Amino acid sequence: MQITITVNGAKRELEVTPYTRLLDLLREDLGLTGVKEGCGKGECGACTVIMNGELTASCLVPAPQADQAEIVTVEGLGTKDDLHPIQESFVEAGAVQCGYCIPGMVLASKRLLDEKPKPTEKEVRYGLSGNICRCTGYAKIIDAVMLAADKLAVEGSDSND
Amino acid sequence: MTDQNKRIKDYFCKHTTRCTIEGVKKSKRFVGHDILKADAWDKVTGEAVYPDDISFDDMLHIKIKRAVHPHAILKDIDISRAKKVQGVVDIIVAEDIPDVRQFGLIIRDQPVLIAPGEKMRYMGDALAIIVAETKEAAKKARDLIQVKVEELEVITDPFRAMEADAPNIHPDGNIVITHHLNRGDVDEAFKNSAIVEENRYQTQFIDQLPMQNEAGVALYDERHGVVDIWAATQWLHDTQADVAQSLRLSKDQVRIIQPTIGGAFGKKEDVSVHIHLAIAAMRTGRPVKLCFTREESMITQSKRHPITIINKTGVDRDGYLTAWETKFVGDTGAYASSGPAVVHKGMYHATGPYNCPNLRGVSHAVYTNNTYAGAMRGFGTAQGAFAYEQQMDILAHKLNIDPAEFRLKNIYQKDSITPNGQQLTHSVNAEETIKRVMELSDWKGGRK
Repeated sequence: MQITITVNGAKRELEVTPYTRLLDLLREDLGLTGVKEGCGKGECGACTVIMNGELTASCLVPAPQADQAEIVTVEGLGTKDDLHPIQESFVEAGAVQCGYCIPGMVLASKRLLDEKPKPTEKEVRYGLSGNICRCTGYAKIIDAVMLAADKLAVEGSDSND
Repeated sequence: MTDQNKRIKDYFCKHTTRCTIEGVKKSKRFVGHDILKADAWDKVTGEAVYPDDISFDDMLHIKIKRAVHPHAILKDIDISRAKKVQGVVDIIVAEDIPDVRQFGLIIRDQPVLIAPGEKMRYMGDALAIIVAETKEAAKKARDLIQVKVEELEVITDPFRAMEADAPNIHPDGNIVITHHLNRGDVDEAFKNSAIVEENRYQTQFIDQLPMQNEAGVALYDERHGVVDIWAATQWLHDTQADVAQSLRLSKDQVRIIQPTIGGAFGKKEDVSVHIHLAIAAMRTGRPVKLCFTREESMITQSKRHPITIINKTGVDRDGYLTAWETKFVGDTGAYASSGPAVVHKGMYHATGPYNCPNLRGVSHAVYTNNTYAGAMRGFGTAQGAFAYEQQMDILAHKLNIDPAEFRLKNIYQKDSITPNGQQLTHSVNAEETIKRVMELSDWKGGRK
């Protein structure tokens, strides 16, 4: 069956089977391998994407259900030469170790900061509660999100001037 | 406060992991500086390439048919229905690879595929390698393979495994290895102790649970006779050597290429996808990919050992340890993996960071039909820590002294000698650590 989705701003028409997972569609058909599979059961958050503005475990979404949806993956934020402030903060705060959870963490942070530009540490912990990291112990990831909030606030005030 | 204490305080911040403060003496390059991780840019943008991110044109997908019973003799395996599934390219069973040898980190006790007449020893044993054009076809074919087995007694408890009438899981018996520890006169010291405390402790299986499951891709270069394997390992050259000996290749015919690893914590010390990938690539001549599901990773790959620890500890009237007797029985599961070293090392740390002049210990790594246990952060010492710290608390309580003071009395100092005879000739900061914890936690003596 045919679906139409907008991924990282580009409209795509794709042929899918009813049982194709959105995760596999993104990784295998579109080559967006920044979307990771950790458990395949919606528990770990590695496959997180932003779908229609909401954090979504792409391993639990049948591709036909994503018809007409707008999807953002980590590839839709910054590039290595031009990092998004959240990505920059993850690098600077030392929040990245094995890195496998990081695309999901970055997107969960984005979703959180879009809604709450000045979160408390508790709100950050809650905002990332759907994403498991096994390396860092989370402390530096939380530092990174707080740092990103500061960076985005400065950026925001610049653009208002 | 000494200068040294001051410096530690300066380093301390709310997360304890962040240690750089302006004004601290810095080295020229790294110590005392914030160093940005070289591959962080790749990882925050999703550009980093992990094993399952690698794909080739014309690539085939692998699924593995696993054991159907934790301890059983394979009587028959029927792949006729599975072979008919559209898209199946090859189904490899033991009789197709008669020359392939067993593998393993310390003892090569793990078969690549179980042949009829041989035993499956845990639920992760491989019976067949299914190679197909798509993952779905491989999975469908896998589920159509029919297996007949003769069930044997399933041993899940290492103490049962050590009994005389227990069936042997491996030909040489169920005790993989026994180590001993002896120093001083333990019996005399117990006789002269004010208090002797004996307790039995049990730890559980723990999965290391790295975020990424075992996965890999392989390619066979027929002209040069070289197989390339892109898969995670923590022992690149050991894995290369083990894969090569298993497949009867020379080491220069096996290349293990390490992509970015999605965590390991000891779990990726063992061979996982490597040999099956190589066999499939060599037989089909096409690129092949094998990714474990989380469930498969949990069933198939190593765990932290559950260890039964029996500690008998003596202490004199002044609160000094006099004698320590310990027994470590580690459930290493169906295969040895790192077990012989893990359980051994655990015993050598049986007294923790505490001085004790008289010691006696024995450790056994024991086969069972559980998923095999291997390396995980600490390599046997985390299990021991649970047991010796409980002993220390119980003894402090019986002596009616502050458990922190009791620890300080017995703590390792420079020149202390560990149970395996190592003299600690360099910096030993254990006392300082306890004192700092007392200060930071506002320690009130631990007695009500």
